[in-house]
Amino acid sequence: MYVASVDELRLKFPGTDTLLFEDVSVSFTKGEKVLLLGPSGCGKSTLLQVLSGIIPHSLDVPMKAKHVRIPDNWGYVFQDPDSQFCMPFVDEEIAFALENIGVPREQMKERIEQLLQAVDLSVPPHTNIHTLSGGMKQRLALASVLALEPDVLFLDEPTAMLDDEGTELIWKTVKRIAHDKTVIIVEHKIEHVLDFVDRIILFNDAGEIVADGETSTIFHMYKSFIASNGIWYPGVWEDYLQQKKKRATNEERQEIIRLHEFRGYRKKDVKIHVPKAQVQKGEWIAITGKNGAGKSTFLHALMKLIPTDGEYEVEGERLAQTKQLARKIAFVFQNPEFQFVTNSVWDELAYSLRLAKRGEQEITEKVEEMLKRFHLEAQRAQHPYQLSMGQKRRLSVAAAIIGGQQLLLLDEPTFGQDAKNTFALLELLESYREQGTTIMMVTHDEQIVNHFATRRWVIENGKLVREETVIMEEGEMRCEIGYSLS
Amino acid sequence: MQKGLKLTDILTTVVISIVFGIVYKLWGPFYYFVKPFGLHIDQLIYGMWFIAATVAFLIIRKPGVALLAEIAASSGEFIMGSEWGLEVLLYGVVQGLFAEVAFAAFRYKRFDLFVVSLAAIGSTIGSLIMDFYKGYIEALAPWNLALFLLARFVGAVLISGVFASSLVKALEATGVTQLVRSASKEDFDQLNR
Amino acid sequence: MRLDIRYRETWLHQTNPTFKLLVMLSVFLLVLFVHNPNVLINLSLGLLLLFFFYTGYPMKHLVLFFLPFFVIFVSTASSMTFFGQGTTTWVRWGLVHITKESFFRGMHLGFRALSFALLGLLFSLTTRPVYLFYSLMQQLKVKPKYAYSFLAGVRLIPVMLEEFQTVQNALKVRGADEGGPVKKMKRYAVPLLSQSIRRAQRIAIAMEAKRFSEAKNRTFYYQIGVSRYDVIFLVTMIGLIGLSYYMASVFPYFPLTDVR
Repeated sequence: MYVASVDELRLKFPGTDTLLFEDVSVSFTKGEKVLLLGPSGCGKSTLLQVLSGIIPHSLDVPMKAKHVRIPDNWGYVFQDPDSQFCMPFVDEEIAFALENIGVPREQMKERIEQLLQAVDLSVPPHTNIHTLSGGMKQRLALASVLALEPDVLFLDEPTAMLDDEGTELIWKTVKRIAHDKTVIIVEHKIEHVLDFVDRIILFNDAGEIVADGETSTIFHMYKSFIASNGIWYPGVWEDYLQQKKKRATNEERQEIIRLHEFRGYRKKDVKIHVPKAQVQKGEWIAITGKNGAGKSTFLHALMKLIPTDGEYEVEGERLAQTKQLARKIAFVFQNPEFQFVTNSVWDELAYSLRLAKRGEQEITEKVEEMLKRFHLEAQRAQHPYQLSMGQKRRLSVAAAIIGGQQLLLLDEPTFGQDAKNTFALLELLESYREQGTTIMMVTHDEQIVNHFATRRWVIENGKLVREETVIMEEGEMRCEIGYSLS
Repeated sequence: MQKGLKLTDILTTVVISIVFGIVYKLWGPFYYFVKPFGLHIDQLIYGMWFIAATVAFLIIRKPGVALLAEIAASSGEFIMGSEWGLEVLLYGVVQGLFAEVAFAAFRYKRFDLFVVSLAAIGSTIGSLIMDFYKGYIEALAPWNLALFLLARFVGAVLISGVFASSLVKALEATGVTQLVRSASKEDFDQLNR
Repeated sequence: MRLDIRYRETWLHQTNPTFKLLVMLSVFLLVLFVHNPNVLINLSLGLLLLFFFYTGYPMKHLVLFFLPFFVIFVSTASSMTFFGQGTTTWVRWGLVHITKESFFRGMHLGFRALSFALLGLLFSLTTRPVYLFYSLMQQLKVKPKYAYSFLAGVRLIPVMLEEFQTVQNALKVRGADEGGPVKKMKRYAVPLLSQSIRRAQRIAIAMEAKRFSEAKNRTFYYQIGVSRYDVIFLVTMIGLIGLSYYMASVFPYFPLTDVR
C-alpha cells in the first residue's frame, strides 16, 4: 500500500503556455526516504505540493490526475526561513500548530519544550523569531511541523538559504527524528542527504521522470546528468576545478582602497571598525565571518550608506557621498530585485548609461555586449522580476558594473543558487578581475574563498581582525597562509 | 465556490495593507509639515490614506478586500503609533466601507480607472462624514470650506485613483499578481489538450 | 516601533484587550459629543496622567512619544483658530481672521485631537497585538483566518521596515533616488509590494500546511479572560469622565459651555 501517490498528473501554471507535468505518475511506500532531483524550475516543489494536497486545496493551480493519494498525516518544511511563520515568538509559533490539531492548552508548554529539544533548538521558548539565524529558523519550522505528529515529511529545499553549518545541522536533526517516517525531499545540496535516502527520482527540465531507483545506482549511473543540472553533489568542486582554466595572475600593484581607523555607525553605535587595510587593483577579497559579525555593514560603510568616520580613500580620493562613490564602485545587493528600477532587461542595463548621459549609439553597443557576456540575450525584453534566480543575479551584476566601475562590491551573490549558476557567475566575476577589476565579496562559502579569492578578510564582532593571503602555488594548487591544512 | 475570502486572499490583503500602513504612518508628519502652508494644500495629499483599499482590490479583485485592506492599513498605522490614535481605526472602517460600496456597485466586475476613482471619491465622502462629526468643518468660512472639499476630492482621485491604477499596472508587469488571481477556465481547458 | 523598549507591566497591561478597546472606543465616541471645552480639558489632563504614570514606560520615552502629538495639538488648534467663522473679531490680517468663537473652537479641537491621540497611545502602549487578537477570537468570535492574518502581518512590520531601508540604499547606489515624487514612490512600492505579495502567499500556504483551515476544535495557547483589572479600568474611566464634568461645572476655566 502506498502512503502517497499521484497517477497521470497534468498541471499547468496560469499564464504559461506549456504544461509543467504531462501524465506524471509516482508513488511512495511507507518508511521510504526519497530524494527528488532535477534542474531548478522542473517542478519538483510543485510535485511535493500536489502530493501533500496543498495544490489544489490551498493553492489554486490548474491540475488534474487520475488518482491522488494524500498521506493521512503529513508535515511540510518550506525553503524560505523568513516566510513560513505567522507568529512573533518561538513558543507561539509551535503553539499555532498545536492549536490547529486541538491539543489541550495545559499540555502545550510541555509539548513545546519537547519539540524544541527534539530539533536541538536550545533557546528559551519565548524568544523572538526575528533574532534567530536562518538555520535556527529552519529547525523551528521542523519543530512546528513535528508538532503535527506526521507520518510523512515533505522537505522542500529546507537548506537552500542556509550556510554549510546550518545545512549540516538540519540534516543531522532530520536523520535523528525521521528514521521511522516516510521522507520525501527536494534538495539541490545533496552531500548530507545521500547517505540518508534510499531512493532517487531524477527529473529533466521538461518535468519528466528520467530515472527512479536505488540511491547508489542512480547516483553513479546518472552522475553526469546530475552534474549538468546544477546540483551540488559531493565532489562538485573537484570536478569543476579540473575543467576550470588556469587563472591569470595580476602582477600589477596599484592601491585602489586605503582604510585607516575607519568606522561605520548605526544609531551612533560602532558597527564596523577597520584599524588599517589596503586593497590593490585586481584583487579578489573574500569577506568572511559569522552571521551578524558586520560583513554587510562593512560594505554599506564603504558605500557610505551609513554614517562613517576615519580615513577612507578610493583611488587616492576621499569621497563623502554615496553618489560620488557609486561612480567608482559598483554594488550588488543580496536581493537583486530591490535594485531593479525598469521594466525590461534591456532598459535595466541601459539605465546607468542613460543616467550618465552617454550617446544612444554607445549605449546600444555596451548593452548588447553585456547581454552577450552575461547570457541574457534571449531575455532582453523580459521584465527583470520574471527572470529565473540565476538570471536575476547575473542581471544585477551586469547592471551594476556596466558603468565601467573598477571596484565591485557583492553581498553573498551566490546565496541560494544552484551549482551551475554559481560557477557561471564566479567565472564572469573572474573575467572582470583578470581585466583589472577589484572584487570585494561577502561569502560563507569556503570553496569560493579557496578557489577564487586572492585574500580573505575576517570580520568578528564588528571588527576586521585578520587578513589572510590566499596564494596560488604551481598550477591550480593553492593554500592559505595562516591556516593549517588538514 | 468557497464562502468568503480564502486565507491566502486575506493574508495577502493584510500584508499589502500593512505596507501602506507604514506609508500612512509616514504620511502623518508629512501632512502636518504641509499644513502650515495654508489654503488647504494639505488636503491635496489626504487621498493617500485611501490607497490601500483601491490597490488591494485591484490586485486581488474580490469582494470584501477593499474594506479589509483599509481596516488593516489603519490598524498597522495605529500599531505603529499614529498621531491620530484610535481615530484612525474608525476612519479606516468608514473609508473602506465607502470604497467597497463603489466596487460593489459594479458587482466587482470592473477594475478600470473610472471605478477606482469612484472608490476614491467614496472614501473621501466617508472621511468627510467622520470629519463632520469630529472637526466642525462646517464652521469654516464658505470659501475656505469649498477649497477644502475641492482639494480633498481632487487629491483623492489623483492619488488613490490614478496613481493606484498605474501602480498596480506596474505590479502586473512583474508577474507577481498572477499568484493571487484565480486561474481561468482556459487554463483548465489546456490540461485536456 | 516600540518593540525593543523595556517596560514594566501595569494594571493597564492586565486589562482584557477587547474590553479595553471597546471602552476606549466608547470614550472616543463620547468625546465627539462633548462641546464644552472645560470638560474636554479636564478629560485630556486625566488621560495625560494615565499616560505618564500608568503605562509603565520610562519617562524619557513617554516624552518622546508625546512630542508629535503636541505638534498636532498646536496644528489642529491653529488652523481652526485662524480661518474659522465668528462674530467677535480679535485679529484680522489678510485671509487670517481670528474671532473669539474660532479661538475657542480651535482650542477645543486641539484638545479633542489630543485626547484621541492619548486614547490611542494608552491602548497601543499597553496591549500586545497577540493578546488583542486572541482576545478578539475568544470574546468577539472573530474568525481565526482574520485574526491570524493580522498577526502574521504585524509580525512582518519590522521586516518590512528593514526592506524599506534596503530599497532606499539600493536606489541610492543606482542613482535612482531622484526624479519626481510619483516615479520615486513607484520605485519604492513595486519591490516592496511584490515581495510582500509573494511572502504573504508563502506564509498562507505554510499556515495551511499546518492544518490551519482544517482545525475543527481549535484550542488556544493563550486564554484571555476577564479579571478584576477590567473592573478597575472601567471604574477609572467612568470616574475620570464623571470628575471631568463635575470639575467643569464647579471650577470652569472659561465661562463658555458650548463652542458650536
